[in-house]
Amino acid sequence: MGGLRWRSASLARGSAAVTGVDPEALRAAARLYATGGNAAIYYGLGVTEHSQGSSTVMAIANLAMATGNVGREGVGVNPLRGQNNVQGACDMGSFPHEFSGYRHVSDPEARALFEKAWGATLDHEPGLRIPNMLDAATDGVFKALFIQGEDILQSDPNTSHVAAGLAAMECVVVQDLFLNETANYAHVFLPGSTFLEKDGTFTNAERRIQMVRQVMPPRNGYADWEIVQLVARAMELDWNYRHPSEIMDEIAALTPTFAKVSYAALDREGSLQWPATETAPLGTPTMHLDQFVRGRGRFVVTDYVATDEKTGPRFPLLLTTGRILSHYNVGAQTRRTENVAWHPEDRLEIHPHDAENRGLHDGQWVTLRSRAGETTLRALITERVAPGVVYTTFHHPSTQANVITTDFSDWATNCPEYKVTAVQVSPSNGPSEWQESYQAQTERSRRIEPHGVAAE
Amino acid sequence: MMSTAERLVYMANQIARNFAAIGQEAAAAATADHLASFWDPRMRQQIFALADAQNNGLEPIAAMAIALLKKHNAPSPQTGATVFAGADGAGHDDAG
Repeated sequence: MGGLRWRSASLARGSAAVTGVDPEALRAAARLYATGGNAAIYYGLGVTEHSQGSSTVMAIANLAMATGNVGREGVGVNPLRGQNNVQGACDMGSFPHEFSGYRHVSDPEARALFEKAWGATLDHEPGLRIPNMLDAATDGVFKALFIQGEDILQSDPNTSHVAAGLAAMECVVVQDLFLNETANYAHVFLPGSTFLEKDGTFTNAERRIQMVRQVMPPRNGYADWEIVQLVARAMELDWNYRHPSEIMDEIAALTPTFAKVSYAALDREGSLQWPATETAPLGTPTMHLDQFVRGRGRFVVTDYVATDEKTGPRFPLLLTTGRILSHYNVGAQTRRTENVAWHPEDRLEIHPHDAENRGLHDGQWVTLRSRAGETTLRALITERVAPGVVYTTFHHPSTQANVITTDFSDWATNCPEYKVTAVQVSPSNGPSEWQESYQAQTERSRRIEPHGVAAE
Repeated sequence: MMSTAERLVYMANQIARNFAAIGQEAAAAATADHLASFWDPRMRQQIFALADAQNNGLEPIAAMAIALLKKHNAPSPQTGATVFAGADGAGHDDAG
């Protein structure tokens, strides 16, 4: 431990030059975390959207274990998710290598359960993550994609790569509330339903499964699950769910950690925290009480491996992207009412020192350029960002912030490195070529045939 | 923009570099396990083919990992991860 102490002391001193955080304050915070009683860590996307995202999460888990801050109420490691039901989606096996309940597809026991219930043979190999789907599409071997409630053309990094991948596919189905940006590349568009129009559950970061109740019938005629079922039936699959509660019953039958979850139990209890099993039918508010699922905790050796996205003479500034309260991610749902007045455009936040160097004034159009692409937006001169760092949101499609972000991603999960892009900023007269051609395409793709005009 | 081949080599090297701290042999085993668990079969076939070429850009741990994976012809990932984790107490988590 002597060596560890020495190393942490020198790290605290060394990091001050980079982070601007006083080493004494850092040391005091560390001591307080370790010795101040219950301490919980909550982390956001500023941790995960880096090349080292999963290493940092593992380091956080190491820290919580080393200080005894796991396995009782008021402690633990808690991710703050980027969307309200990320936890629920992950729980249900939305990763390309997992079944519900975090069971790997190569697990023969789990696979046998599903094969028996569905009367089908299931692949034991992992599937593709989105960036690799797009690569396989440009290689000509990935031909179709069904996208529900996600606007990957706007939300995913390196827009030109996303566009090339989507354009190469033979069948892109987009199901959403609105004709989003990805719908520009869709061969089929299916209407979505809002959370007010369907029954279902949201699961939050404390594994709490919560009922979402329908308040009105879907305006498009069908809840999302019904549309999926209609598509399945059109593909000659004999699906006969009559209510989402029947889907939850199937989840419970096939997922050991959800064994006691049902709409009736959720109605009765208000909510349940999985695992809800025979031994804990009302759920498990605190996990890892006496031991971990695997037994003793495991400290994982992690290393800081710097990103390959580097600043240099051509791209001397670091761009970091983020979101603000009044918009939901890429704004598909929040840009369509007068509420857009809260945040009418994405601005490039830049420190007065960096702005002065470049002869920029507040509100001026600037070109933001990276190795991946360029775009233009208006500058906002502010000391909220440090010198050398610029920041913008990506709520508006006209900004095309993800034309700038790169293909670099977390080494283990491929979570995009939205927080680090080397850029240059210079004065500009207005929108880039990409923005103008994109605007033209947007208008073209949203033309609607006038009603009552006979088709040729 | 990277080609698919360049990206696969980059990804393999990046995974290997992040495991390097646990020692070369363990890092190669962990990298092999990662590729078996999280790469689809076509990506693995592609990296096998790339590894056969000269000047493929693979760093030593990544190259060792791919050789390991080839030898065992993609062992069952879950078992691989569990055995690996139990054997020397170092490895990885699926941090998604």
